[in-house]
Amino acid sequence: MANARALDKRRKSIRNIRKITRTMELIATARYKKAMDRAQAATAYTEQITRIVGRLAAAGLDVKHPLLEQRDEVKNARVLVLTSNRGLCGGYNSSILREATPLVRELRTSLPNVNVDVSGKRGVDGLSFRGIRPDERHLNFEDQPKYDEVEKIAESYLSRYVTGELDRLDVVYTKFISTSKQIATVETLLPLGSLSDSDAPQEDAGKNVEYEFLPSAESILEEVVPTSFKVRLFKCFLDAAVSEQVARMIAMKGATENAGDMIKQLSMTYNRARQSQITGEIMEIIGGVEALEG
Amino acid sequence: MAIRCIVVTPERTELDCEADSVTLPMFDGSLGVLPGRAPMIGRLGFGTLHLSTAAGPQQFFVDGGFAQVEGNVVSVLTARSISVDMLDVGDAEKALEEAQELPGSTPELMQIKETAVNRARGQLRSAR
Repeated sequence: MANARALDKRRKSIRNIRKITRTMELIATARYKKAMDRAQAATAYTEQITRIVGRLAAAGLDVKHPLLEQRDEVKNARVLVLTSNRGLCGGYNSSILREATPLVRELRTSLPNVNVDVSGKRGVDGLSFRGIRPDERHLNFEDQPKYDEVEKIAESYLSRYVTGELDRLDVVYTKFISTSKQIATVETLLPLGSLSDSDAPQEDAGKNVEYEFLPSAESILEEVVPTSFKVRLFKCFLDAAVSEQVARMIAMKGATENAGDMIKQLSMTYNRARQSQITGEIMEIIGGVEALEG
Repeated sequence: MAIRCIVVTPERTELDCEADSVTLPMFDGSLGVLPGRAPMIGRLGFGTLHLSTAAGPQQFFVDGGFAQVEGNVVSVLTARSISVDMLDVGDAEKALEEAQELPGSTPELMQIKETAVNRARGQLRSAR
């Protein structure tokens, strides 16, 4: 039987760990709620953009833009990988890396110039370990990505795309579907396939209203396309942030529960060890008394 | 009758209020909107959005985007909207200087530069 004091020490340390994991779970829950609210606030904007695109299409405008068209010759590609800065969030980062690594390898075999940009320390470390050197590193994104910061990244991609330094951009991120389901996905953002989100509801109301386009429908389209790219990239960041918090919440919940189970088991072993120690001591005393009497 | 003015940025709904009249900073000049205006969709430039409300005039700097008018509702979609009081002339001047330093050797780069300069000028105008 193990030493009772050693068991007690172990139990105490597990109790402390449980306290920490529980606190982390609570923090993740609070952050998740905040991130979720932000993601929902962003949908108001995307919906309006989709509506404007719908109106433009309804007005009989041919939706054409350099950003929407597939290039004949793709030479320079970039992959943006969105991971977290901190660990202890279960399989969140590893599933992203599992998605990103084969993609990069495949692109590198077919295209001459493929660069990888990473957001998040974990992704930088993970990719370096797998032999992929990240080009640009963004380490400033936490649970609430700022639009200004995302916009800067988006603008740099846009200007590179327009000047021909970039022909294709893929984003690897965790798509948030529901609290119990998040999937690591790859999305090609440049060239933009279509303007409207596939999952956004198509709206028919108001089609009979005649709109005046100022200064012209073409000019509006010229602005809508880059904006919708920026918003989509922002949405990727928001989704990744929400998914990270959910993953951390679930991982920490599991850790807290496991710590509880371990404490229960250790308590049982400790009590047995203590009991047997006491029994041993009593036996010794009885033995001593009998020896004196005899 | 009043107009409902909604300003939306990708982060949140910045403003949702009633106004008597709204002046939008369009791509090619200001545009006033009074109740009962015909529906329109317009491209915004970089400039100041004026609202005249019952509580007094309000001014915001908007950073490009779109405006939609439909049945006394003006929705403004913009990347950023900042109350004019929060703008700083020094910052705006610095942004303008930086924008003018950008390279303009090819037509594409020239266009990027022009946009940056226009944005900085709009910000400076609003700040003053």
